[in-house]
Amino acid sequence: MISPLVAPRTREAHVDWPLWIAAFGLMLVGVAFIYSATGDTDAAANLPWWRYRAIGHLFAFIFGLGAVFVLCLEDYGRLARWSLVAYWVSIVLLVGVFLVGVSRNGAKRWIDFGPIQFQPSEFAKLAFLFALANFLSRPPEELRLPGNFVKALGMALLPFGLILKEPDLGSSLVFMPTALVMMFVAGVPRAMLGKFLAGTGIIAALILFDVLFAPPNWKFIKLEEYQRRRLMVYFNVDFAPSGATPDQARQARLLQRDTAMNVDQAMISIGSGGLTGKGWRLGTQHSLGFLPRLGAHNDFIFSVIAEEKGFLGSVTVLGLYGVVLFTGIRIAGEARDRLGRLLATGVVTLLFSHIFVNIGMNIRLMPVTGIPLPLLSAGGTSVLCSLVAIGILQNIHLYRRHY
Amino acid sequence: MLLFDQLNKGDRALRTVAWVALGGLLLLGAQLWRLQIFSAAKYRQSQETQSFRTVRVPAMRGKILDRNGVELVGNAPRYQLDLYLDELRPQFETEYQHRKLQVLAAKRAAAGEPEPTGFFAQFLDKFRHKKRGVRLTRDEIGALERQVRYTVVSNTVAAVGQRMGMAIGLSEEALQHHYLQKRFLPLSIVTSCTPQQVAQITEQGWTVPGMALEQVAIRSYPHGPLAAHLLGNLKRNDSYDESDGPFDYRLPDYVGGTGLEKSFDHELRGVAGAKSILVNSAGYRHRQAEEIITPAEPGQNLVTTIDLALQVAVEQALNGVKAGDERGAVVVMNPANGDVLAMASAPAFDPSEYVNGISTERYNSYFMAVPERRLVNRASIGEYSPGSTFKIINALALLENGLNPSEIYTVEAGPGGKGRYMLGRRPIGDTAPPGDYDFRRAFIRSSNSYFINYGLRLGWDPLMRMGHRFGLGELAGIRIGEEAPGFFPTGDEARERGWSQGNLANVSIGQEITVTPLQMAVVLSAVANGGKVYWPRIVDRLESGDVLSNDKPVVVKPGQLRSQINLQPRNWDLVRAAMRDDVADDEGSGKASRLKNFAVCGKTGTAEIKGYGRKDKVTWFTSFAPYEAPRYVVIVMVESGGSGGGTCAPVAKKVYEFLRDREQGLTKGVATK
Repeated sequence: MISPLVAPRTREAHVDWPLWIAAFGLMLVGVAFIYSATGDTDAAANLPWWRYRAIGHLFAFIFGLGAVFVLCLEDYGRLARWSLVAYWVSIVLLVGVFLVGVSRNGAKRWIDFGPIQFQPSEFAKLAFLFALANFLSRPPEELRLPGNFVKALGMALLPFGLILKEPDLGSSLVFMPTALVMMFVAGVPRAMLGKFLAGTGIIAALILFDVLFAPPNWKFIKLEEYQRRRLMVYFNVDFAPSGATPDQARQARLLQRDTAMNVDQAMISIGSGGLTGKGWRLGTQHSLGFLPRLGAHNDFIFSVIAEEKGFLGSVTVLGLYGVVLFTGIRIAGEARDRLGRLLATGVVTLLFSHIFVNIGMNIRLMPVTGIPLPLLSAGGTSVLCSLVAIGILQNIHLYRRHY
Repeated sequence: MLLFDQLNKGDRALRTVAWVALGGLLLLGAQLWRLQIFSAAKYRQSQETQSFRTVRVPAMRGKILDRNGVELVGNAPRYQLDLYLDELRPQFETEYQHRKLQVLAAKRAAAGEPEPTGFFAQFLDKFRHKKRGVRLTRDEIGALERQVRYTVVSNTVAAVGQRMGMAIGLSEEALQHHYLQKRFLPLSIVTSCTPQQVAQITEQGWTVPGMALEQVAIRSYPHGPLAAHLLGNLKRNDSYDESDGPFDYRLPDYVGGTGLEKSFDHELRGVAGAKSILVNSAGYRHRQAEEIITPAEPGQNLVTTIDLALQVAVEQALNGVKAGDERGAVVVMNPANGDVLAMASAPAFDPSEYVNGISTERYNSYFMAVPERRLVNRASIGEYSPGSTFKIINALALLENGLNPSEIYTVEAGPGGKGRYMLGRRPIGDTAPPGDYDFRRAFIRSSNSYFINYGLRLGWDPLMRMGHRFGLGELAGIRIGEEAPGFFPTGDEARERGWSQGNLANVSIGQEITVTPLQMAVVLSAVANGGKVYWPRIVDRLESGDVLSNDKPVVVKPGQLRSQINLQPRNWDLVRAAMRDDVADDEGSGKASRLKNFAVCGKTGTAEIKGYGRKDKVTWFTSFAPYEAPRYVVIVMVESGGSGGGTCAPVAKKVYEFLRDREQGLTKGVATK
């Protein structure tokens, strides 16, 4: 059998090395720092070595690389024919989460398949990418029709709404920029996008104002209470309503401190790392429990890296992501057709959204939302989907000269 | 560069995407620079503040030794049982989960919400996203946690107590206080274990989680109340010393409250060290991570001039006066250099009570009781009228101003066959009988009339000046805090007060003025050595408390002269001879202190004072010995005594007896240096 990573016509290797070197670098960092964050706890729990979370992360990589290999056997153009099926399967799974999902920390995001638990929202992101790219790859003239614009928007809003209800604000929010950037690159008229963006902006501002400042019985938008509190912390809104009794104010302040604690501690971790950091496995913030014990190895993994490896380490991570993103944009530019170009753009936007929201949350540029950092955060589904996303880029690169 | 090519390519849309991505990454990088480079110090500080607790560790307090190096105050180990709360956290958690279910069930029942019964209802209940009305509020969680902590800790403590065969109390408030203030430190549950308990614990090798036997040093007083006033007591150090630096917690330590412990507190205390304890986000100690930042430097040992064997003899003699009910003081000094060899004040107290804690009730009824006033060091801060012992100074003043010692003065007869002196129309009683007196006889019979008669002729200035030359009216200058100057005005001050001849008559026989026994020891030393007024010396040297240290001890120079009184040698001789005869002559008032082979020279005194609402007496015997080569000055003062000769002279005799016997090798004792 011919290696899928060799172009069928020329038999010339088409592995995109910069992409994979950066990806492998990130995987290595991921395993190393998940071990740093969880190794002691796992050892204390007397787990066998293969049940360590760092090893689990490694397994996820191996599994993910296998998936990439399989993905690259087939041309993305053919894969895209199945995109609507995948899209609707993902929607069914998202609905399934509500029926048979498993709760962790008050959020229902997982479906239990016996030995493994699966997060449909991750899969939905990829299925959505394919479906939207497929939809938008039609001739640009058709994209000028408002009906198609609404349809494209609807494709994004359906999973967005379902994931928002899980609740998983972070994961749901990445659908919007991805959809918008893909439409932008596809050539949807600027005026249409601009109007939509302006409208969304106004609505978002209204929602935010409603959530943050409106009295309880005037709240039209029902966010989860913790989501509302996180937003209030991010926008520095005083928790104590005016006219509160001293006791209520005290309670509110305590709540505010608790809510702000994760971000404050993440900032202390990162800031105290300084230029060169405290050294691998020598960070104190997670071992002493100041970083949330449930989040240090996934949503807050960047804090652990930045504390132990300092500014140099965190910039290195940014650099590796930069390589992945820019390689992705290059691949989009080199793609043989609009589908490949849109698909690659979607992958890049999706990855960028994750990176920016997650790291931004760690350093208080963004409000706290539970969103994983691609390849670094522990979590099998996220790792798998991140690798598959990179695999899509590889696929587009591989089959760029097919015709 | 390959990666950034797309920033320049013709594809406008992708170029925009590339620029946005680059901008995003740069924004993240800039914020990271701000946190990790620009504000790194601030965050590092926050991180240290929240993860380390610094604890001040007091140094081992220096010992107080007698002049031969025998321990007067030392440190003894005490074993206490500590409980490390961090090791109980798994139990807290288990108990919490258990109780939480009960509380939730109760709350659910109270809210009228039925407990799910049956398989299906329980199954559905699992999937309910939010159980309305059955959540615990923040306050309820706090209260439950507090309750759980107390349950677990008090159960552990009770189990320990049962094995040790004692009831150990622990109040919820005490635990809560410890939890809030210092949960990173162990909770002390038994502050003092008996040796049997220690043996029991170490031999059986208990495995109560979190329990540890710790050794702490506690001040020990091997001789009990001996020289308690001089050595002083300790008190709990509650003051916050900024110069120590900021600490999250200070381990308990003590400072000197009185006596040498107080005046040499700085030297004895040493330099406190510091350790830091790594704590986790819950505020508990993180494993056993402790780091000594600076080790404590032990305090210096204080070698005093006190002669332990003599001090014991002195206290025995003093406490024999009234079978334990006596109030008085004894000072023994070396007249050749001013060294204080013994200093006793009765009644005394046991300083170890201060270390173990004194109840308010006991403090008020025992320590503060009047007239005992047992906390007062009568030897140095007690101000008493010297009575007839002042005639020593009066005599020197008279002789130096030309009194002819052979001149005869006739004391007129008063009622009851006693002598009296008529000052105008006021009669002043005299214990000496009427008759003819020369200087020697007037001195040994302690004739008031004689000394008043000549004193009045002498006048205020020469008399008071002589007293001041001996340092009366000023602090003797021993380095303990409790010291009084006495009341001894100058002639001018006396006149300013409007004092009359009557006052002068009283002062001539040692009334209306006050001195301390210590001052009298200095006076008698000067008389014995021919006019050298020394600063009393109580501390011989300060030695390093560290056995391995090569630091040279700081020696306090002996025999520091305060002033030299230059009188005609004949006059010193006359007074000294009169003092010898006061003891040696059968007519002398101090004959009760007479000793074979040891020529004691003394002067008795009985001052009348108004004390505690009634007429009271202060009795004295001030002396030195032996006559030929004075080596010891002994001052005895007893409140409410009978008379100087009757009450105090025998005490001095016992002291001299000890000294004589020891010099002649008759008693086993530590030889004086």
